[in-house]
Amino acid sequence: MPNHLNSSQDLPIDFPEVLERIGGDELFLEELLKIYFEEFGEKHAQLERAIEQGNFTLIQELGHSLKGASANLSLTVLKKVCFSLEVSGRENKIEQAQSALAALEKEFQKLKDYLIASPLKKGSD
Amino acid sequence: MKLLIAEDDLISSKILEKNLENWGYEVSLVKSGEKAWAALQDEDLRLAILDWMMPGMDGVEICKKIRRRKRNKYTYIILLSAKDRKQDIIAGLSSGADDYMTKPVNFLELRARLQTGKRIIDLEDKLIFIQNQLKDMASRDSLTKLWNRGEIIKFLREELERGKREKKAVGVIMADLDYFKKINDFYGHDIGDAALLQVVSRVKRKVRTSDKVGRYGGDEIIIILPNCPQSEIKIIAERLRLSVVRRGIKTDLDTIPLTISVGCACSDDSPQLTAEKLIRASDEALLKAKSQGRNCVVVENLSNKGRKNA
Repeated sequence: MPNHLNSSQDLPIDFPEVLERIGGDELFLEELLKIYFEEFGEKHAQLERAIEQGNFTLIQELGHSLKGASANLSLTVLKKVCFSLEVSGRENKIEQAQSALAALEKEFQKLKDYLIASPLKKGSD
Repeated sequence: MKLLIAEDDLISSKILEKNLENWGYEVSLVKSGEKAWAALQDEDLRLAILDWMMPGMDGVEICKKIRRRKRNKYTYIILLSAKDRKQDIIAGLSSGADDYMTKPVNFLELRARLQTGKRIIDLEDKLIFIQNQLKDMASRDSLTKLWNRGEIIKFLREELERGKREKKAVGVIMADLDYFKKINDFYGHDIGDAALLQVVSRVKRKVRTSDKVGRYGGDEIIIILPNCPQSEIKIIAERLRLSVVRRGIKTDLDTIPLTISVGCACSDDSPQLTAEKLIRASDEALLKAKSQGRNCVVVENLSNKGRKNA
C-alpha cells in the first residue's frame, strides 16, 4: 500500500466532509468537538466498567452511540473502531471488545494530536 | 415554516439545527419522545424530523400516535435512524413516517427531501382552501350570494335556541318584490335579476351586522333578526321598504319603479315556536301585505293567533 499515507481515509478527521456538513463554520466545529470530547470521556469510563462486568448490552449501546457521534464529525477511523465495539457487544465477544477499547483509546489520542497540529485550531495557540 | 427536530444525540441535533436554521426553518429542538409529542400538539408544526432511537417514546411510536389522531392538518415526518437494513426501513415507513433517512445525514439530501414535505403541505393547504370555498358555495345562493334556504333555516334554529336560553326574541322578515313576474316577462330575466340584486343590496345595507339575509326562493328574501322584539320588527321592516321604494331601476327603455311587500313574525310571546312555524307566520304576513295592495308591511301577531287556536 504505497499511497496509504496520503489517503484521507487514514486521517483521524475528514475536514472537508465535516465542514461541508456544517456550512464551513470552523468555530462551530470546535464547539462540536468540545462536546465530543466530553461525551467521549463519559462514555469511555462507562465502557471500561461495562467490559469489566461483561455487560454486552451496554457495550453495544455505547459503541452505537459513539459511532453516531463519530460519524457526524467525520472521525473516520474512530467510527470504524466504534462499530467494531458495537458488534462485539451484539455478539458477546469480550476479547473483541477489549481490543476495540484499546484501539479506541489509541485513535482518540491520535485525533487529539492531529487537532493540536492542525491549522484549524489557529485561534487557540 | 415551523419544524420539529427530536433527537437525543447532542452533536447530531446541533448540526441538524444549524443547517435547518440556515435554510430558513423555524426550528424547535427536543431531546425525548415525550417532549416531541407535546410539541406536536401545535397545529402549525407540520414538519417533523424524528430520530428513531430516543429515550422513552421512540420515533416509531410517535409516528404511530400522529397517524392515529383525528386532526385536519397533516404532519410530514422524516424518520432518522442508523438502522439501514431493508426490514428497518420498511418497519419505519410502515409506522407512518413519510420518509426515512439513515445517519449520518447527508444534508443536501435532507434539504431536497424536506422540499417534498413542503410540497405535500402546500398541496394540503390548497385542498383545505378549496374545500372551504366549496362549503361556502354550497351555503350560498349563486345569483345573490345570500345564504341559501338550508343555511338560513339552520341559523334560525340556532338563534331560537339561543333566544330561549337568553330570553330574547327572534324576528323573521320575509320580503318579496312586487310584480316581479311582470318585470321578468316584460323586460326579460336579465333585468329581473338586476332588479332583485338591487333590492338585495339595499336591504343588506339596512340590516344590523348580526342579522342574516338569505334567499328563501324566487324573489323572496328572508332576514333572521336575533334579539329583535315585536316592538322593533315593524320599524326595521318599514326601513327596508322605504329603502327600496326610494329609487327605481334604470333600463335602456325607462326606469322601473321598485317596491317590496314585507311580512314579519317574531318569537316574542311564544318561546316554544319552531323555525318552521315562524317562517310560515312571516310568509302568511307577506301574503296579507300583498292582498292589502303591496308596498306595505304586515306583522303577524302570533300571541293573538295562539289564543284563537286555543
